[in-house]
Amino acid sequence: MTGVLVLLERHAGAIAAASCEAVGVARSIANGGPVVGLLVGPGGAAGATGLGVDRVLLAESPNLDHPSGAQLAVLLAAAADAASSTTIVVPGTARGRDLVGRVAVRWNASAATNVTEVATSGSGALRVTRPVFGGRATEELELPGPRQVLALKPHAFSPPATSPAPTPVEPLALPEGLAKAPALDVRGFQPTVGGKGPELGDASIVVSGGRGVGTPEKFQVVEDLAEAFGAAVGASRAVTDAGWRPASYQVGQTGKAVSPQLYIAVGISGAIQHIVGMVSSRVIVAINSDPQAPIFRVADYGIAGDLFAIVPALTQAVRAARSH
Amino acid sequence: MEIAVLVKPVPDAETRLRPDAKGLALDPEGVKWVLAGYDESAVEQALLLKEAAPGTTVRAISYGPVARAEEVLRSALALGCDAATSLEAPPEAPTDAVSVARALALALTKHPASLVLCGKQAGDDEGGIVGPAVAELLGLPDLGVATNVRWDGGPGGLTMERSVEGGLEQGRTALPALVALQQAWNDPRTAKLPNILKSRKAPIERIPAAEVAAAMAPSAATAPRRLGFRLPPPRTGAKMIEYKTPEEAAEKLVRILREEAKVFP
Repeated sequence: MTGVLVLLERHAGAIAAASCEAVGVARSIANGGPVVGLLVGPGGAAGATGLGVDRVLLAESPNLDHPSGAQLAVLLAAAADAASSTTIVVPGTARGRDLVGRVAVRWNASAATNVTEVATSGSGALRVTRPVFGGRATEELELPGPRQVLALKPHAFSPPATSPAPTPVEPLALPEGLAKAPALDVRGFQPTVGGKGPELGDASIVVSGGRGVGTPEKFQVVEDLAEAFGAAVGASRAVTDAGWRPASYQVGQTGKAVSPQLYIAVGISGAIQHIVGMVSSRVIVAINSDPQAPIFRVADYGIAGDLFAIVPALTQAVRAARSH
Repeated sequence: MEIAVLVKPVPDAETRLRPDAKGLALDPEGVKWVLAGYDESAVEQALLLKEAAPGTTVRAISYGPVARAEEVLRSALALGCDAATSLEAPPEAPTDAVSVARALALALTKHPASLVLCGKQAGDDEGGIVGPAVAELLGLPDLGVATNVRWDGGPGGLTMERSVEGGLEQGRTALPALVALQQAWNDPRTAKLPNILKSRKAPIERIPAAEVAAAMAPSAATAPRRLGFRLPPPRTGAKMIEYKTPEEAAEKLVRILREEAKVFP
């Protein structure tokens, strides 16, 4: 029997969506074995019920308010051993992904990040698929057993249905190695200066505007469409370089790489710089006045025309559709 | 302060990707190997710290087939690094991240650094595993996705910002430490021609393949096995929506997103 351990990462008290996706994957590769969640830090077991894990191990200590990668790796290895897990799945967040290399070394495990597909393959091995070269190619790897550690690509998997059954919570005995692991000294936190909607890297729908929008004031048309969709707002490099919107909006090679379910590019011509940051989105829509714009070559659906006519009409249509 | 920068040779961004004959990896034929974009930010960060703290030396370290590794090491030297170490890949040239981390840790044992810098991932496999694995092997704290790294001159005083979900975290760490840099936030410099010419003749320390292979050996059993390298089916281009009025275009798109693409509730 193969048990799977999942790191349950909390953001502002709530379990991160990326951790819920990890629970679903854990269930699919556990072959009937237990799926155990690890919760770290003060805050008790808040948020643990309903996730679909069989039980939760809680590593509680005031020193774990901002656990370092080194501390989390020690806890993950100890929890996996305590739960007899053979695979550890961490969420595809910035912090989660940073743990994979550490856990691979400490727990002597085979490792992969940015995983988009995973299946068991006999004799305790896992087969995983992951995008490489900015989504321009994929590689398939076999991770030999008996131990693996995976980080998933955000949004690549659906979270499992929540279950109302209460989840048993047990304390994890803090391992000896924890005291020796370097701690993290966090001195402050500045929330991202972004649009009103969800965060860019986290959103399932992203609406981005480019140079074709014309002026910083007119960029509002992009933001209105994003609001109608409940989407995050992004921008091409032309927009952030010109200072129309802050650098935190930038999608592309030198900005954020996003892979939402739906990406809508408004007035973006489609320079390779931008393409590599969004090409792995599931569905891409482009709206541009130039029917020859390269963005239409990577998009699934296109509307050629005046964006100042199309986009407000689309905003209305989306609002109407969502209110029904 | 001694700074080490870990740099990886990656295919130039313009490379036309194509699988090799076995379909297991990128066909290396005709590929131009360059300093990974994220690593350029790491080199830039090292040079900024060096300029702010006289007496600091920067050593670039790279693993790979000699010609590739030394090409990017010469780029790092041309940018202003003081010394370079090349870890010669064994004949089978393992590329899995933990094995590579073991090789890099070998060089860092020979040249201990108070600060190890690297990119948060490389532009080819985009793994992000090597940096934290090196930190774990050497018992160092590591801080990922970092920007704005500053050193106050003391052993406890390295500060930085990290872009994590929801915002920017301000952190501080004692040295020695490993810091993995976010890409391109610091506008990396380009090398000047006289420095490029000088770097062509600069000495590069080489750690021989046999020694590298011995350092990598402990993770042979856990190394992932490559089963395939594929290109996505070529995108056929957008299905263009025909319309007479903007309203018609909008309604058609909403219907497609809902019924055909199923990305809209």
